[in-house]
Amino acid sequence: MPVEVIMPKVDMDMERGTLAAWHAVEGARVEKGAPLFDIETDKAAMEVESPATGRLHHLAARPGDRVPVGTTLAWLYADGEPLAAAPDAPPSPAGAAGPEVGTADVAAGISVGTPGASPATTADPSRDGADAGPGPGSAPLPTALQPVVPASSAPPGATRGHAASPHGVAPLRATPAARSLARQHGLALGGIAGTGPRGRIQRADVDGLAATRAAMPPAFARQYGPLAVTRRAGTGRPLVLLHGFAADSFGWLALERMLPADRPLIRIDLPCHGASPRRAVTGFPDLARQLVEAFDDATRDLPADLPVHLLGHSLGGALALAIADIRPRRVASVTLLAPAGLGPEMDADVLAGIARATRIESLAPWLRCLTATPEGTSDDLVRAAMAARRDPALRMAQSAMADVLFPDGVQAFDLRPALGRLTAPAQILWGRADRILPWRHALAADGETAIHLLSGTGHLPQLECPDRVARLIVRLLAAAEGSRPAP
Amino acid sequence: MNAPAGIRELSYAEALREAMAIAMERDPAVILMGEDIGVYGGAFQVTGDLIDRFGPDRVMDTPIAELGGAGVAVGAALTGLKPIYEFQFSDFATLAMEQIVNQAAKLRYMLGGEAAVPVVFRMPAGSGTGAAAQHSQSLEAWFGHVPGLKVVQPATPEDAKGLLLAALADPDPVLIFEHKLLYKLRGPVPEGYYTTPIGQAVIRRPGRDLTIVASAIMVHRALEAAEALAVEGVEVEVIDLRSVRPIDRDTILGSVRRTGRLLVVHEAVKTLGIGAEISAMVAESDAFDCLDAPILRLGGAEAPIPYNPELERAAVPQTPGILAAARALVRQEV
Repeated sequence: MPVEVIMPKVDMDMERGTLAAWHAVEGARVEKGAPLFDIETDKAAMEVESPATGRLHHLAARPGDRVPVGTTLAWLYADGEPLAAAPDAPPSPAGAAGPEVGTADVAAGISVGTPGASPATTADPSRDGADAGPGPGSAPLPTALQPVVPASSAPPGATRGHAASPHGVAPLRATPAARSLARQHGLALGGIAGTGPRGRIQRADVDGLAATRAAMPPAFARQYGPLAVTRRAGTGRPLVLLHGFAADSFGWLALERMLPADRPLIRIDLPCHGASPRRAVTGFPDLARQLVEAFDDATRDLPADLPVHLLGHSLGGALALAIADIRPRRVASVTLLAPAGLGPEMDADVLAGIARATRIESLAPWLRCLTATPEGTSDDLVRAAMAARRDPALRMAQSAMADVLFPDGVQAFDLRPALGRLTAPAQILWGRADRILPWRHALAADGETAIHLLSGTGHLPQLECPDRVARLIVRLLAAAEGSRPAP
Repeated sequence: MNAPAGIRELSYAEALREAMAIAMERDPAVILMGEDIGVYGGAFQVTGDLIDRFGPDRVMDTPIAELGGAGVAVGAALTGLKPIYEFQFSDFATLAMEQIVNQAAKLRYMLGGEAAVPVVFRMPAGSGTGAAAQHSQSLEAWFGHVPGLKVVQPATPEDAKGLLLAALADPDPVLIFEHKLLYKLRGPVPEGYYTTPIGQAVIRRPGRDLTIVASAIMVHRALEAAEALAVEGVEVEVIDLRSVRPIDRDTILGSVRRTGRLLVVHEAVKTLGIGAEISAMVAESDAFDCLDAPILRLGGAEAPIPYNPELERAAVPQTPGILAAARALVRQEV
């Protein structure tokens, strides 16, 4: 009897989850407890373990598919168990949710059986002669494998956005003139409010936006390629550094000087930051996925039994939590400096001001809000920050990113569930004078996570008191590695 | 157009009569045929006193037998004359379909270009005269569907004269649809001989917000609606179609490219009508990309023209209806 693989319920109020990636291909043999697939919910991203040992078949969801909790995603067949006949209909709402599949190409190299295709005829090199072929002698599939959720019962909300939707989702309405004008200006109609009947987008609606765009600096051109990673060589477990919004990896310099010189460092620049490509970010889950990919790439060459330490500041802290949540086995410890994602409040004015600033005069007042005292922000720091922000395309890209991550000045993502699931040793460091993110968000931590509140410190502990931060990091790293800190 | 300097005001009917007189003076091959066009002067007094000026040999009353009359006209045209055959009402052309559609339209093609049928059919058309179902139709689209025929619809006295003279100058059969309510319309008409090119529409009023393509009497109703909308700050471009076949694609598409909105108004029944042809023409062209609203059509109702004057008015587009449709288009209500 094959074992069912389902979309798990990982939050109390979770109703649907998005399959982010499969760790195994159709027909592959997987061990019980091994990572089988990644999912994303409204709140978190995580790795799901295989419920049994066996061969993976009848994959019914592709990366990017968003399916209800409990939906069958695949079946695991025990060794020697004959493969059952193909279901008559798509075995899961993945087929119904087809229009939502927009990122199916993301997981390159993962082959997935198309829903509705005949999984039973999928080549299975591991099969021996005894149970060859879905002939008359082969056992029929358990009836439970008949459509678990018939396509027609998928709620209309399961689809969005595409005109071809069979579920009656309203297609985008725009006049031919509006469409051709949008094409000329390279504008997406999706974001334009239509003033015509039933919200139809008119030529004037696009005209207005095109005029606004023309008055702004050129939109950032989307760039491709991996995120920028820089390393400092050393011995032992690396410390992965994730900077915050509107910063880059140079911001770690002061702290790095205080850390033991032989500690290997891996610095990752966030998308649209530093030397990383200006990628479009559709939301925190997307950003987290980009960082998990970069993390995987950056740590690929390390031995599997050598998990790494994570250090994240602000938005980078939220991303460190997301990485620890989805790759728990690869993380030895987590240090969070004033992390984002632990509550909705934030000072959006400062963030917007920094993202927007085009010259030192407008940047400096906002930067000085980051530190406990205005003097904490040196003129050198302001000059360096402005130099890093000289490119208008970078500023546009970051503004767009801020708009997605912090709509209406609210942290639109919640890492508290991830913090609760954290198994690696962890600590939160927060300046008591932090104006950007309130240190009380640290109280979301429970039990074994240490909270260090730093007096006389604002939102940049790594710059304002790098010695104290370094000391706490060294201590946690030593504890996590089970050795005494160097004197 | 090569109009001479002298311009007076004439009625539409007078302009047609003047065109016929000029043509008969210029060319002895031009003859007039039709029921009661001689002594009586024509059902709508268009030929008037021409029998006195040109005699019964050139202004011939024919029997109440349209198929026969049209057949004689086609035969005369084949053998070197240039007849103008007047149908008392264009509705009666249904009796002469064989001669118009099967003979006049086809012979040049079937005889390898060695024969020509330079006949002109005058077609008093349209409703509004209380003449009811069998005397009020607008059948121009029927004939516009036949390759080999040319179909024109003058809306002004000047074009009535110019298009009739152009029809006579054309080597092939031409049907000129004259709206009966226009016969008494007065307007400036150049003196002497001139032609209005067949196949050319004309922009009667320029505008940037909406294109109205109208024909015959609907041109005047569209201009009234445009006038009313101008007060509201809306600039309507009114195109007088003038020619149903061939149709002036360039003028229409050019206007739609500028305005992005199109309303087609004709008196003939809307279904399967000229408006459908124009709409499809736009939808099939690059002007499609310029449309900022659905194309609207106004046309005759799905019923024979009623005798009751109120119902008769309601059966075809009137100025308030055109105004309402135009307003809805520019206000983005459709």
